Amino acid sequence: MKKRIMAILLEPVFRAFLALLLMVVIGLVFNAHGAFFKSGTHLDMLRENSRYAILACGMTLVIVAGGIDLAVGSVLGMTAVCFALFTIHWGWPPLIASVACAGIGLATGLVSGALAGQFRIQPFIATLAMMVFARGLAKSISGGEKISTSIHQADGSFKFGTLPPVFEQLSGRVWNDTIPVVLLVLLVTALVCWVLLSRLRWGRYLYAIGGNEEAARLSGIPIMGSKLLAYGLCGLLAAVAGICHAADEQQGDPEAGMGYELTAIAMVVIGGTSLSGGRGSIPLTLLGALTIGYLDKILSLNNVETAYRLMLTGLIIVCAVLFQRAKR
Amino acid sequence: MSDPVTGSMLWMRNIGMVFSGVRVLEAVNLDVRAGEVHVLAGENGAGKSTLMKILCGVYTPTEGSVELDGKTVKFRSPRQATDHGVRMIHQELSLVPALNAVDNAFLGQELSRAGWVRRAAEEVRLKGWLTRLGVDVDLRRPVEEYPVSVQQMIEVAKALTFDARILIMDEPTSALNRPEVEQLFAVVSDLKAHGCGVVYITHKMEEIYRIADRITVLRDGKYVGTARAAELRQDELVKWMVGREVKEHFTQRTAHAGDEVLRVQRLSVADPTGRQAWRVRNVSFALKKGEVVGLAGLEGAGNHEVMEALFDTTSGRVKGAVWLEGKELNRRQPRMSIREGLAYLTSDRKGKGLVLDMSITRNTTLASLKRFSPWLVLRNRAETEAARRHGKAFRTRYATLEQPVKELSGGNQQKVVLAKWLETRPKVLLLDEPTRGVDVGAKREIYELIDRWTAEGIGIVLITSEMPELLALADRILVMHRGEVTAVMKRGEATQERVLAAAMGQGDEA
Amino acid sequence: MKTIGMMTVAATVMVGLWGGTGWAQEKKSEGNPKKVIGMSQCNRGEPWRVQMDADVKKAGEGAGFEVLFKDAQNDSLKQKAQIEEFINQGVDLIIVSPKEAVPLTPPVAAAFKKGIPVIVLDRKVVGEDYTCYISADNKKIGKAAGQWIVKRLNGKGKVVELKGLMTSTPGQERNQGFREGIKGSELEIVFEADMQWLEPNARKEMQSALSRVDKIDLVYAHNDPGAHGAYLAAKAVKREKTILFVGIDALAQEGQAYVEQGILNASFEYPTGGKEAIDVAKKIFAGENVEKNITLKSRVFTKENLRRGGDELGE
Repeated sequence: MKKRIMAILLEPVFRAFLALLLMVVIGLVFNAHGAFFKSGTHLDMLRENSRYAILACGMTLVIVAGGIDLAVGSVLGMTAVCFALFTIHWGWPPLIASVACAGIGLATGLVSGALAGQFRIQPFIATLAMMVFARGLAKSISGGEKISTSIHQADGSFKFGTLPPVFEQLSGRVWNDTIPVVLLVLLVTALVCWVLLSRLRWGRYLYAIGGNEEAARLSGIPIMGSKLLAYGLCGLLAAVAGICHAADEQQGDPEAGMGYELTAIAMVVIGGTSLSGGRGSIPLTLLGALTIGYLDKILSLNNVETAYRLMLTGLIIVCAVLFQRAKR
Repeated sequence: MSDPVTGSMLWMRNIGMVFSGVRVLEAVNLDVRAGEVHVLAGENGAGKSTLMKILCGVYTPTEGSVELDGKTVKFRSPRQATDHGVRMIHQELSLVPALNAVDNAFLGQELSRAGWVRRAAEEVRLKGWLTRLGVDVDLRRPVEEYPVSVQQMIEVAKALTFDARILIMDEPTSALNRPEVEQLFAVVSDLKAHGCGVVYITHKMEEIYRIADRITVLRDGKYVGTARAAELRQDELVKWMVGREVKEHFTQRTAHAGDEVLRVQRLSVADPTGRQAWRVRNVSFALKKGEVVGLAGLEGAGNHEVMEALFDTTSGRVKGAVWLEGKELNRRQPRMSIREGLAYLTSDRKGKGLVLDMSITRNTTLASLKRFSPWLVLRNRAETEAARRHGKAFRTRYATLEQPVKELSGGNQQKVVLAKWLETRPKVLLLDEPTRGVDVGAKREIYELIDRWTAEGIGIVLITSEMPELLALADRILVMHRGEVTAVMKRGEATQERVLAAAMGQGDEA
Repeated sequence: MKTIGMMTVAATVMVGLWGGTGWAQEKKSEGNPKKVIGMSQCNRGEPWRVQMDADVKKAGEGAGFEVLFKDAQNDSLKQKAQIEEFINQGVDLIIVSPKEAVPLTPPVAAAFKKGIPVIVLDRKVVGEDYTCYISADNKKIGKAAGQWIVKRLNGKGKVVELKGLMTSTPGQERNQGFREGIKGSELEIVFEADMQWLEPNARKEMQSALSRVDKIDLVYAHNDPGAHGAYLAAKAVKREKTILFVGIDALAQEGQAYVEQGILNASFEYPTGGKEAIDVAKKIFAGENVEKNITLKSRVFTKENLRRGGDELGE
């Protein structure tokens, strides 16, 4: 019996849940004059962090396969610009624009995957290159300006376009104006990734490659194809997050998503997934995302100064990871 | 300087070594005289390397003593051994590829004055030895830019720069070509003349008699004897090396040989280091259903490469043809090989066989996932069922099937890998060291399994460094030496002495 | 922590990569009848500075000058080298918007002493070795915004202040000026946070403010994207109609557009001085005397006055 309880206590999911619980308790104590007790606070937190969590889901696939994708933040920025450009400036129907953006994201991921898989460039380097390249592309597509409803004319004046309704729809809420749409997008994303990782053959391939690439290869697992799948999906999800980001900001900012890759990685890691690959899961990542989300929310609600915020965030990340690793 | 009674400057007496409960050395003696070459001989796993690691301070022996110049010494680190003039040239290169020859030679033991490295002094010293070895290298270029043989020579020079009195050479010629070997031997004679004692490990019969003054033989971690080379005949030496009774625990295999299942013709494998053209040359053989063919050979013989090239040609250049049930397999990549009915158990179980973090079930189905997910969705129940079935058949001992395999013992891990390959329903099993790191009980179970599989008509190619195991299991044995087949023996013809003699190239090159 | 190491490496490599991608335009002015002006911008990554370049370009081309633009990509040493390049090229006039005062003082002084007129925009250099310094006054603008807000709220109300990077001078000055402007009124700052000039941060902070404070009358953000982010946060909880939003900068494409669309109630211009620099250059080429220091007049844009180009702020 005691052994049984110990086993449950040592389950990664349980630990990640405990870390989250701890964060919620901190929130209850430092509740910022009761602001933490309002449901709106929690919905805001979910809405704010859904985009990061979408990135983190894609990142989980790559990290499970023993890689890393630093490009997601830049790809998010680039697709945000593309989506705004396609819908606001060019007037494309939202569905076509979304598919086009998803295609762009997928393509960047496939390139990263090919660089890492076929050409054996270390994933860190390959995706770092993609990160810089995609940011440059975002700036070049947008001309360095935010793509919004104020459209630059040739003579230097501005014309004001109308904001397509899709922006309001994606950044809005459903069910009596409670559940943010982007949260639903996240849930669908998480479900797809969870099915892939835990139910499909391809997911098993990713775990095997992350766990021992040579053993996986000798067992006849298609290394290249699996890597393309992981990085491709990661890029695609970065595009999904990019579309949500554009809708949220009601514009396409070429600077958007700077540093988001690190937040996404932090979410995956705090969930208890090791960067060495072969382990991790979507539920863990979601717990990690909630932990980081609450941390951020609590610091913001209590109006903690930036300097202390950064230091506290760093400390808490280290503590959470050490806590995850603690052995019996 | 040396012991006045025996004339030996080094004595290792009654050395015993136990690794986590397993005895690997027992009451071993070795003495080295000044100005002699002392060959240490024995089969793979006889304990030669362990003994030498004790001598140069890597391991501390469990029992026994080491005496240098009549004084008992205890080396706690290679550094201490070096300070006493004991140096070892390792079998695997131990150079840092990106550093140049000088930095490598003096790594961790830089000549320095007040914290400043005396590079010029280092260069002069190393250059002197390299010249004597007949090697011309640019001391400022990274050693990785030179072929392995040159690197090997740098390694030798590195050992010599520290005025070694006892020099241990572990198969130093394995990467060298003829003229280089001659050069090395000239240096060894030179060293002898200067009163240096050399302990020399080799698997080549020819070299033993070329260079040895005395020979000490180890077998299964035990001391067999020491003799002057001139007084120990070759066949006597072989007897010393293998002289053990075949143990009881082998079930007598019944032959099941049926139709031919695998045919290999003129298989050659390129040398990955690019030093010699071919690591394996023109190996041909056929395998029948239910037959076990053993590929024998001492280290570096090329038998492992043959097996790998049958299954996976992605890593290097391979020539020759392979037919499986009459169908020629041209491009052999793991995926296709598995599909055609080949399965390859590697000797590196943890590095290439298992995904250690994964459960028993998942490792079991790893190579046959397609069958467990016809519509991409994995059928967990079928997977568990398969793992349980194999676990039962192999008598694998585990807590739950969801346990990560890293928690299992070596023998049980091996059974999981075997289960993985059996699950692919192979026609031919390639087994590289199936009993390595496996306890005695599990070994016997694996022998029984091999017997059962042959009864089911699976053809098996087997490599094992345990000679009795090979003799008991194999219906036919191909003995390899330096990349070529030097003898083929049927069951009954093969004896330990004959296999070993062929493996050492006896009569082939002399 | 791997992440932090990664962050460092990523940052280093990024800076390295971006630093290496600058391209130089080489042009000789000898034998060219057009006056050639060299313009060194400290960082074209910021929209306001992009606007400044655009203003210089528009006015410069209108006056028939040839303007060579260089982007120092936020690197003082690179900018120093660019100014030295201009000197060697022998341009007729240099406009520089420096990254930092101290490292850029020597090259500016060198150009000035060689007889090349130098117009310094926005940020200053040390000493007097330049021809003309044109800038706007953040403190004044902040103060004007504060006074405008007091008037608009009739001297009473609850205000959220979303501050720019508080380690930067503009952030500090826009804060100080604002506090000076509202002194003596009954305005109450109910929430203040450093949003580091970034819209997503502003939005996040505003959400917290909305959770904590039930009644907010006005949001004063140190830049327009910040005010825009606050507006979106308020809109998400359907409180945007009850709150006024005020921002600073009033770039045509950002602040002015937001005002036009009814998102912001007011935006205070932080003029780039690009047009004024060309006006000064014209005077210099004509041999006229120019003032050593010019402080730019700022304007406020509201829905009512946007069409007529905003109203100039008084002292």
